[in-house]
Amino acid sequence: MAFADSWIVVPVFAPLTAALLAFLVRRASFFISLAAACLSLLAVAVLVNRFLVNGPAAYAVGGWDPPLGICLRTDGPALIMLVLTAVAGVGISLYAKGYFTLRIERPSRVGRPERQERFFWPLWMLQLTGLNGLYLSGDIFNLYVTLEVIGVSAAALAALSGKSASLIAALRYLLVSLLGSMSYLLGVVFVYKTYGVLDLGLLQAAAAPAPGVIAAMALMSVGLLLKTAIFPMHFWLPPAHANALAPVSAILSGLVVKGSFFLLFRLWFDIFSPVLPAAAFNLMGSLGAGAIIWGGVQVLRQQRLKLLIAYSTVSQLGYLVIAFPLAFAGGSSQAWSAVLFMASGHACAKIAMFMSAGTIMLHAGHDRIRDLAGIRAYLPVTAFAYAAAGVNLIGLPPSGGFIAKWMLLITALAGHQWLWAVVLLAGSFLATAYVFRVVAQLFVIPPDKPVITRRRAGLLEWPALIMALLSLLLGLMAPYPLRLLEAGQIVRTAMTMGGGP
Amino acid sequence: MKMLLTGFDLLLALTLLWLAWQLLRSTDIFKAIIFFICFGLLMSLAWVRMHAPDVALAEAAIGTGLTGPLFLAALRRIERKAGKNMMSEPAGNGEETGSRWKARNREMSPLLWTVTALTCCLAGLLIWTVLIIPRPLPGLADQVAGSLAESGVNNPVTAVLLNFRGYDTLLEVMVLLLGAITVWSITHAPFPPRVPDTSPVQKAAVRLLLPLICLIGGYLVWQGAYQTGGAFQGGAVLSAALVLLLISDFLWLPGMRSLPLRLGLTLGPLVFVLLAGFGILVEKTLLRLPVEYAGPLLLFLEAACGLSIGLTLAAFFAGGRPASDLRETPYSGEAKGKGPAES
Repeated sequence: MAFADSWIVVPVFAPLTAALLAFLVRRASFFISLAAACLSLLAVAVLVNRFLVNGPAAYAVGGWDPPLGICLRTDGPALIMLVLTAVAGVGISLYAKGYFTLRIERPSRVGRPERQERFFWPLWMLQLTGLNGLYLSGDIFNLYVTLEVIGVSAAALAALSGKSASLIAALRYLLVSLLGSMSYLLGVVFVYKTYGVLDLGLLQAAAAPAPGVIAAMALMSVGLLLKTAIFPMHFWLPPAHANALAPVSAILSGLVVKGSFFLLFRLWFDIFSPVLPAAAFNLMGSLGAGAIIWGGVQVLRQQRLKLLIAYSTVSQLGYLVIAFPLAFAGGSSQAWSAVLFMASGHACAKIAMFMSAGTIMLHAGHDRIRDLAGIRAYLPVTAFAYAAAGVNLIGLPPSGGFIAKWMLLITALAGHQWLWAVVLLAGSFLATAYVFRVVAQLFVIPPDKPVITRRRAGLLEWPALIMALLSLLLGLMAPYPLRLLEAGQIVRTAMTMGGGP
Repeated sequence: MKMLLTGFDLLLALTLLWLAWQLLRSTDIFKAIIFFICFGLLMSLAWVRMHAPDVALAEAAIGTGLTGPLFLAALRRIERKAGKNMMSEPAGNGEETGSRWKARNREMSPLLWTVTALTCCLAGLLIWTVLIIPRPLPGLADQVAGSLAESGVNNPVTAVLLNFRGYDTLLEVMVLLLGAITVWSITHAPFPPRVPDTSPVQKAAVRLLLPLICLIGGYLVWQGAYQTGGAFQGGAVLSAALVLLLISDFLWLPGMRSLPLRLGLTLGPLVFVLLAGFGILVEKTLLRLPVEYAGPLLLFLEAACGLSIGLTLAAFFAGGRPASDLRETPYSGEAKGKGPAES
């Protein structure tokens, strides 16, 4: 194995080491974390480059080949999620620095923001470790361990604000997340006892209808749906996401739920697709439809900005699941592209939105939508970022959301699946309503406007704008991710023809 | 003999179910914790019967030995808080257990019945699935046995945990550390204060037991290479020694500095990461160990991890942060001038 192959471990080990160092050396924790985030970005760029030249890579950790050892793999979908996580990682790190600096300058309770910042960095770095580990992992049990890292650090991050509402929400989040992990683990046990291997590649080659595998898939899927907060298992998400600190909300809503969803999608479409009946895909689709409609209606009822954004996550996650029946008809490659555009567009947009909401909350002191009129006059960049991110949620061109919804709609219409098409359109109308409800408030300046005294901070405003613009312009960059996906597709077909890796 | 064992297994299974039921329906938290400890002990016996001595040891040490006291410590804290808030309320009928704080009395509501019924259905489905999976069950035991010679240890469980799937174990150790970071991040309490008066009997007993416990912990780490044992079990035993020190006022935690503690907590993961980097530099593969040095390296790794795991678990039990870390004042109004001085 060549030395350069080891680039694949950097996205996992850079943040992992940074977490340890940030916990030890507190004065430098921000610089350590930022360096790790940048190093991951560099490593991911190298991985993409190597992927385009050499095709998918497999890296046996410890030199033990599967089935004995654990394999790290890169393929198109994993790389796209890695790029997304790495870019968002740098953005969120910068924003968090600005956020904590401003809070420490004007603390409401002495010492609290310092404690929050001190523990934010190691927890955030561990979160990044878990997410990158999940996207790279090629082993169904190792995936469980990464889920555990993600789940525990996410709950710890959610509890960081220290208010009792957030503590209750975080504890519930932790319990739900552990329940989901247990359910997934039980499924892994059944898979192992049925096929005798844990490696995803070997499982893909071996996947055939067997007595235990439906139960295994049901257990794993329920666990992952619970972690992804898909309707009707979304009850824990809004309080946990809305009560957390702003950078944490961005992490939870933008990145964490995508991790478990990515695993779910991979299991359904790449590994066990020959085993599953068509009815199961339709069941998932109806969950997604329920999420879009129910979540959308709930968003409209919210009075507070952060809760509104959190409920909109519930609604938007529905689009990811409604892709299941549509993608089932359209084939794996198209399914991946629609879902990945949706996931990355939503991630960038939601991160931007929560960043904006956090900035607004820091400056206005509250997040009651009714009283937010005219924020645009004080925070023009933030208000624009919010609006630009809203464009992606609605699904207007040229955003990533537009591409994804367009693909889904075309598939639905081509397959005469009118019901799904109606739901997709209804979701967009609901999104329009709730985005404009806030944007109208932000941009219309009433004559007797309140005065905001806090100074503006560039680190709070610009990362939000950049994330929002990324989500807005994702549609224009569409050829690049598609190229990654297609490159993976060709090799995957070749792999199945050749009878496994 | 075989029939006797089957009878024993049956009895064990029934007792476990009964204990679990008692645990769930008990409204007295203290009683429920005792049931939990009993359940854990019998469960570890069940693991032994299932020929999984490593799991049994871990279950006994971590699942019962440490989680039980952790629950008890948490209960005492809740009681102390609740006692302050509910002074006016009558003491209730908890005298026999010494516990005044009780869970809400739960009636068997229709919802609870529905959940119970659904759980039974799920259990039935699971049992049915287990029964229909064709035997013999496939597995990787042969592969592990085949590569055991290259792993540096003789115990297949240790070989899988630390060598073949060392990456998993690294992440698991990180999860433990994550737990400690989480405890520190949400609490603004210091470590518990000195226990006012420990009885001389307890002190003498701890003096006698402590070296023995440390020896057992060290031995468990050492023998992980050959038979049942390893970093997790050894670490749990070490943490038991620390817990004993904590409740007998030998180790005066509030005076403890934060940095040495943090160094101790991160020692195991740091050694793991260094070993991973060493693998890349020398063998060009992450976590790959040279075959001839694998044994000593793994022992070194296990010792470091055992130490960190012991400290981490004891930190859970202590449930606070070092005083030198605490600069947080309760309210901004009275914060001026009253904040604890930075040491």
